[in-house]
Amino acid sequence: MFHIKVSLFSHTRELEHKIDQFHDKLLEVAMNFKKAVRIFLNERRSDGYRKISKQIRNIEHEADRLRREIEADLYSQNLIPDLRADVLHLVENVDKVINKFDEVTHDFYIERPDIPEKFHNAFLSLCDLSSDCAENLAIASRAFFRDLSSVRDYSQKVYLIENESDTGSAHLRNAIFDTDLPLANKLQLNLLVREVADIADIAEDCVDELLIFTIKRDI
Amino acid sequence: MDGLFLIFLSSGLFLGWSLGANDAANIFGTAVGTKMVKFRTAAIISSVFIILGAVFAGSGASQTLNRLGEVNTLAGAFMVALSAAVSVYSMVKSGIPVSTSQAIVGAIVGWNFYAGKPTDYGTLSQIVSTWIICPALSGLIAIGLYFCIRRLIRKSRLHLLRQDSYTRIGLILAGAFGAFALGANNIANVMGVFVDSSPLNSITFSNGFTLNATQLLFLIGGISISVGVATYSHKVINTVGINLMSMTPIIAWIVVISQSLVLFLFASQELQSFLQNSGLPSIPLVPVSSSQAVIGAVIGIGIAKGGHEIHWPLLGRIAVGWITTPLFSGILCFISLFFLENVFNQIVYAD
Repeated sequence: MFHIKVSLFSHTRELEHKIDQFHDKLLEVAMNFKKAVRIFLNERRSDGYRKISKQIRNIEHEADRLRREIEADLYSQNLIPDLRADVLHLVENVDKVINKFDEVTHDFYIERPDIPEKFHNAFLSLCDLSSDCAENLAIASRAFFRDLSSVRDYSQKVYLIENESDTGSAHLRNAIFDTDLPLANKLQLNLLVREVADIADIAEDCVDELLIFTIKRDI
Repeated sequence: MDGLFLIFLSSGLFLGWSLGANDAANIFGTAVGTKMVKFRTAAIISSVFIILGAVFAGSGASQTLNRLGEVNTLAGAFMVALSAAVSVYSMVKSGIPVSTSQAIVGAIVGWNFYAGKPTDYGTLSQIVSTWIICPALSGLIAIGLYFCIRRLIRKSRLHLLRQDSYTRIGLILAGAFGAFALGANNIANVMGVFVDSSPLNSITFSNGFTLNATQLLFLIGGISISVGVATYSHKVINTVGINLMSMTPIIAWIVVISQSLVLFLFASQELQSFLQNSGLPSIPLVPVSSSQAVIGAVIGIGIAKGGHEIHWPLLGRIAVGWITTPLFSGILCFISLFFLENVFNQIVYAD
């Protein structure tokens, strides 16, 4: 009896584990991004930054692998036929956020922007807000699989933080264009600020869809 | 078993086949339509459990039909079953949610009128009352189950994938129970009218296991229902699956369980005697419509969800079915018996 029970749920348990690992990747990438920005602001393109940038790239690759495996398992084992499309969509959306972290980290590495010290705090705070947004998305998305009532709570947090991030990015861009920096420098910084704020925007879009999926999942 | 008996029995077998083709969709329609259960699995489980229900628990509802009218010749039974089958077919064509039970009741009353036999109005009113009680009870059970399951899911915080596995197992178990209940309750529609005129005798197997004459008749009827499931229900199941796509597998499970419980309540002699012995009001053993039980359950869940999703015109169509199906079947039976007796010189009733 025990053996039957174990074999009956072994596939789903493995997949449950993969889904959990996938969400862990989002939390990991958000945390590493916070560290990466601090390292960049202090050391610019140092070995330390190169190392953490590589770590983020590896996390992104791992997340891609997990996403593919989750998608393949869902289809090959014909699991949750009624919600499969939603789950695939959710996983792909979360993966977009992870990709964006990697992209922004890489942009810093390639472009080596010269960020004046007076903007460091605002820049750090914007990066932290984007990371917090992603972290709350990870919790909300994980809750979709286990605890529907929490989805709304964490989604609400994503909305609030994204709103703050929008305000922060607008102030920072204004401040950048108010300086006497060369236009090329201003445009470069402006673009980077927008890229960082985009992380929060993508997380918000994910949450929009997640809330619809949650309504569909509730009986 | 002579050839003439088989010819006369053919109308009952046809009715059984159409019941299997139509009603299996009520048990496994959404499960197969949403790809939670394979058709092959559904067909095998339905077939086995319909036969088991028919043979081992089918006699209760059949006795009630016999009280309504003891169709005492094979030719008469043939025409009663054929009229019911034709009525079911016509009603299905006109898109009315049809009940085999209502058709057979109409046909028996038609036979009573033709044969000049008195109709037991007490039994008739008992049967007619179940046409309303059946979907209402199914709806109430569905509402109760809906709130319980929703609470359970929210409290248990099961992972979506684990919940999916449990739902799959639940749908198979509910389907098996539904098939058993369908066999137990609806075999009376298919074979009930042949009980009094059947020339079959009981048989004893080498291991001492005995099937009495009625059980043997019900076994044949059960097989005809199973053939209907295996040969034609796929088409109906697909339609039901597509039509009810908005139903989640858990809601589908609630619908199947509610419907099965109602069918079981109206077929279980054990439950009836338990209620009688406990001094509680007993439930009449009457063949009821699985389609209407399903509709009752769907409406019940619609009410539980706030009543926005209820398709009210459907209720009107069911009410139309309550009148038109037995009326059409009764008139058809009456006219056909006249032709069978006077044109084909068959004895359609015995004094």
